[in-house]
Amino acid sequence: MGESAILRTEQLTVGYEKRPVVSRVTLELKPGEMLGLIGPNGAGKTTVLRTILRQLPPLEGKILLKGIPLPDYRERDLARCCAAVMTVRADPELMRCEDVVAAGRYPYTGRLGILSERDRRIIESTVRTVGIEEIRYADFDSISDGQRQRVLLARALCQEPELLVLDEPTSFLDIRHKLEFMELLRQLLREKRIAVIMSLHELELARKYSDRILCIREGRADRQGTPDEIFTGTYIDSLFDMAPGSWRSVWHTQSLAGRCERKRCLPGNLE
Amino acid sequence: MEERKRTARSGAAFLLLAVLLLVLLWLNLLAGSAGLRAEEVLHALIHRKESGMAAGIVWNIRLPRLFAAALLGGALSVSGFLLQTFFGNPIAGPFVLGISSGAKLAVAFTMIACLGRGIAVSSVSMVVAAFGGAMLSMSFILLASRKLKSMALLVVCGVMIGYICSALTEIAVTFADDSNIVNLHNWSMGSFSGIGWGNLGVSALVTVPAVAGSFLLSKPMSAWQLGESHAQTVGVNLSRFRTALILLSSILAASVTAFAGPISFVGVAVPHLMKSLLKTAKPILLIPACFLGGAVFCLFCDLTARMLFAPTELSISTVTAVFGAPVVIHMLMNRRR
Repeated sequence: MGESAILRTEQLTVGYEKRPVVSRVTLELKPGEMLGLIGPNGAGKTTVLRTILRQLPPLEGKILLKGIPLPDYRERDLARCCAAVMTVRADPELMRCEDVVAAGRYPYTGRLGILSERDRRIIESTVRTVGIEEIRYADFDSISDGQRQRVLLARALCQEPELLVLDEPTSFLDIRHKLEFMELLRQLLREKRIAVIMSLHELELARKYSDRILCIREGRADRQGTPDEIFTGTYIDSLFDMAPGSWRSVWHTQSLAGRCERKRCLPGNLE
Repeated sequence: MEERKRTARSGAAFLLLAVLLLVLLWLNLLAGSAGLRAEEVLHALIHRKESGMAAGIVWNIRLPRLFAAALLGGALSVSGFLLQTFFGNPIAGPFVLGISSGAKLAVAFTMIACLGRGIAVSSVSMVVAAFGGAMLSMSFILLASRKLKSMALLVVCGVMIGYICSALTEIAVTFADDSNIVNLHNWSMGSFSGIGWGNLGVSALVTVPAVAGSFLLSKPMSAWQLGESHAQTVGVNLSRFRTALILLSSILAASVTAFAGPISFVGVAVPHLMKSLLKTAKPILLIPACFLGGAVFCLFCDLTARMLFAPTELSISTVTAVFGAPVVIHMLMNRRR
């Protein structure tokens, strides 16, 4: 097994005020691994992610972060370990992109939040890694959705997290920005050994980029495995309550399919 | 380069505010119905112990009044900035959300109840009553904000709360004893007149720590500006932060109302002016800027209220509305979102 898990959940049930949304999720995530959450709208992917971020209390079960139970973390220590890009739209007033990125240094700065030399160095290198040098002084309100996601990712990376939680990070991006965003994530995973758990609506992206996939359906973790194990037969059709063969027919006509074959994507099991 | 430009801009802005503050302090000291000359005022300032008329006017009337205008104006703007940040709503403010009117209602009832029984109302009990009233309005607004997702509806709700409180205050004033009415009426219109050193001391004791506390909240506030979810993920203790911010903004609004009555538009207009001046919304810069700017704005408005139709004095709210409302309208017209 080698490295120990960053995130582990045991029989985790999530939901709102005694109303369970997803029950008994058990998962494990190691450094440098990417776990994709897929499932129909309203299945509870976001609820799972918010519980892992401690934005919602779990109804049952345990969440362990680096082997320590989540409730034992102090706010600052949790923020140093775990960062997120969620779908809640941020529209701050009069903030430049660089200010938004710098906001990720929060758990490291002092009482008044004044940036140190080290903070500035980290912001600088993150801006370069994510490739937002040209827009760093632009108003955050004025940039495109694709750029926004990059800025928000940079902000999360400034927390120097070991675990990154992403909720549909590519939903509003065009196809080029979707692929660029995912390539960037893979690169970060490799270089910084960050673990990523994210929900995705784009099945093709989940298939191409995830190490493992967790399928959520009708209030439970329906299936968990490598992309090859999940994308077999008519499983995807049944996950989304479609007629058998529906997904495959779309997949074949999508332009993304052609792009994917170029890379480490599908080991020839398209048929 | 970029960074230096920004520092220069904030430096210049603060310098401007400081100069304006000093100029207005001096003008407010000079101006008045007694028609003192500059030398007389200066002489009176230096020789406090002299028992001349000039010394009395300067030390007992003008100085406490101008310090009150500066201090309470600053407190009101900071309160407005806190509320705007908290609700993510640029037109939120203690007056707009009915918090000042709630404080006014509670103070009016306390005054009538005490004066009717012949008990003098201490400034501390005024502040406590105002705080109670402010918290009452605040809890209504917080309840409403859970249901109302739209900024405009929240403000409408606050304005309605304000009207209800004002109506109740009017009723109370109508049925109060004749001897109370003059006092109460003047105060409920809003005015910095009649604030002595004692009241000033109490209000300083309340507002100065509250403004300092707000300044210490500037780090979590800056995280909150990116949204609640973001603030939580970077490590803000949300419940503690919310409680602190609500208490501080209510204390600030309450202490102003207790001594000067409800003052409109300062809490909305000044933070907006400061954001435009500094070209940033960073709390660490804006809280001091709002305090200074509010002081300048209220000194200017109080000067106008006293001098425009001298010897008749206008109520302070009349003047702040005349200068503040256009700023608010301008801001609403220029909003991009």
